[in-house]
Amino acid sequence: MSFELWAEKYRPKSLDEMVNQKDIVERLKSFVKAKNVPHCIFAGPPGTGKTTAALCLARDLYGKNYREYIMELNASDERGIDVVRETVKTFARVKPMGEIPFKILILDEADNMTSDAQQALRRTMERYTETCRFILCANYSGKIIEPIQSRCAPFRFTYLPREDHDAYLRKIAENEGVILLDDGLDAIYEVCGGDMRRAINTLQAAASLGKPIDAKTIYLIVGRANPADVRKMIETAIEGKFIEARKQLRDMLQIYGVAGSDIVRQIHSEIFRMNIPETWKIRLVDIIGEIDYRLVEGADEEVQLSALLARFVEAGYEIKKSAKA
Amino acid sequence: MYLPWTIKHKPRTLKEVIGNEEAKLELVNWIKSWDRGIPEKRAAFLYGPPGVGKTVTVEALANDFQMELIEKNASDYRTEEVIKRFAGLASQYGTLFGRRRIILLDELDGLTGNADKGGVKAITDIIKETQCPVILIANNAYDPRFITLRNYCLLIEFKKPKVSEVLEYLKVICKREGIQAEDAALKFIANRSEGDVRSAIIDLQATAQGKKILTYNDVAWLGYRDRQENIFTVLKMIIYARTCDGAKRAANMADIDMDMLFEWIYENVPSHITDPHDLARAMDALSLADIYRGRIKRTQDWSFMRYFIDYMTAGVAMSRVNTKVAGWAPFKFPQRIQMLTKTKSEREMMLGIALKIKRKCHISANRAIKEFLPYLRVIFRNNSEMAAKIAKWLELDPEMINYLTGSGIETAKKTIEQQ
Repeated sequence: MSFELWAEKYRPKSLDEMVNQKDIVERLKSFVKAKNVPHCIFAGPPGTGKTTAALCLARDLYGKNYREYIMELNASDERGIDVVRETVKTFARVKPMGEIPFKILILDEADNMTSDAQQALRRTMERYTETCRFILCANYSGKIIEPIQSRCAPFRFTYLPREDHDAYLRKIAENEGVILLDDGLDAIYEVCGGDMRRAINTLQAAASLGKPIDAKTIYLIVGRANPADVRKMIETAIEGKFIEARKQLRDMLQIYGVAGSDIVRQIHSEIFRMNIPETWKIRLVDIIGEIDYRLVEGADEEVQLSALLARFVEAGYEIKKSAKA
Repeated sequence: MYLPWTIKHKPRTLKEVIGNEEAKLELVNWIKSWDRGIPEKRAAFLYGPPGVGKTVTVEALANDFQMELIEKNASDYRTEEVIKRFAGLASQYGTLFGRRRIILLDELDGLTGNADKGGVKAITDIIKETQCPVILIANNAYDPRFITLRNYCLLIEFKKPKVSEVLEYLKVICKREGIQAEDAALKFIANRSEGDVRSAIIDLQATAQGKKILTYNDVAWLGYRDRQENIFTVLKMIIYARTCDGAKRAANMADIDMDMLFEWIYENVPSHITDPHDLARAMDALSLADIYRGRIKRTQDWSFMRYFIDYMTAGVAMSRVNTKVAGWAPFKFPQRIQMLTKTKSEREMMLGIALKIKRKCHISANRAIKEFLPYLRVIFRNNSEMAAKIAKWLELDPEMINYLTGSGIETAKKTIEQQ
């Protein structure tokens, strides 16, 4: 069956196909060769190939029936510690048939687990090491508790370098018969910053318009995909209309499901284009950075971002006051 | 030792129960009638507003008549097994030791919806057959769910005791506790209670415990116990508090959980703290409260709760430096909670699609909503051929396709704006 979403269609199927993360791929290949895999932590930003690497490793190791030997769990969907515990245990304790005596459990977004759940996981990992190896994927390895970290081989994934990013997208475009212009490619990189999933999704959405893809198309797509009118929201706040600005924020988050981190990123880039005193820009960046970090830690998006909006209200007020003086 | 005064000073005999003389008499006559054989109505249904002494009356009754009281609350009814055990108990008149028994089913209002439909029926069945007195208690006996049940019961209404009666009882408690209370203070509490004796006693304990003398000033900060009214009072006391302590104490008065209180404060701060500097500080305090809330969740260490509360109460109150109190802005119900309810079907739809994506694309549903849905929307609106293939591959149902092609989201937004 053909894959209709390109992000999935062009996901590498074996370690040999992976174009980047060279060192990581080499180490993983050596595991395949030795037919032994330690517990691993794959840490790195989204869209850098963590899940892909785990799946490729499994396929290279077990062959085409690899699905029978692995289980994918998602900490952010399967939140209940008991569910995780039960499912994980049931899967982990049974030895698989075949040449390789262990299965692989891929635990995605492991940094979303509470420390209690992680403690429980740690015991399961120890107890069933013989029959099951764990690959924990996380954006931030720092949010995985020490005892688990010390039992895992760490792998640090980084954003794709520009050349690899470009080459991969060009290959996809060629395959799909889509004309991807140079400035279109630049724009994708600027917008997605090396996050391949996002880049490929953007490319496919742009291709759906049915014309050659240039920078304008990309910005159009990004604008439509993120109906969040961040600039308007900031302007509303600077005019002093806090409640209205918060309402706009709420719409973005709740109706359009825009990620808080995306809003922060857009606010950050808007700041420097805005017509406000230079000194204020850097003062605001200070606050934006703090809020960004809090969101990473899992704080409430609306509460944090509206605290930021209140700072914009304050800035607008001060700017007006000094203009009068 | 901390013992709630509602328990410590609970009436032991019917004589001590205040008010509702008629109801008590009716109940006593009914119980006495059992001595002459099984009466026509085998159950008594006591109903009336909260805190007027329904349960306490039954307990005192059992005590006065030396009967064994078997009590169950709404939360226990659910299982068939429990109901069967009841049926067993109800089938005998006396206990092994010759004491007669009363079966009390309290908080019938707590039976909810369809899940408990069978529950009401099972109770009705027990009453038809019972060999010993059954007493039911609910706030509202005229709830349609009880329509059949009512036919088998002697209905006894409990009314709010008079303020003067509540006042007398408060005086009794003060005497027992060795507290000299100003008349005005007790009157204030009695008036506030609006006939809810339980709440009056709770208020008295909250203001008087540990004191030798209770003055009017000690009680003046009490709010109405009426929920809506209460939350407004609490909000006012927090946002307009002059001291940290005042703001923190106000939070303790709220009879909603702290997360909900946070939402109320978060919603209402901007219309009450309007100076830009004050507002920035207040929102900052709330964002810090939120940080601690996150830390509690992550570490499951509830001792961080104090910082969460400090920031959202005292932190907010102390932000008010420049804002003048001018005019009055009404307090509003937390809009984002309201919106979450309104956008529920919307979010369910997104989740449904996200789960389909999850099956094919090795990504969590949560992430799929953020990382795939926006692009799918663009594709579905611009390229029906590509959309059709994707829809087929993901096995989307027609509703999902409709949603992605756009009719869905615009309607949702419109409905929300209209409301």
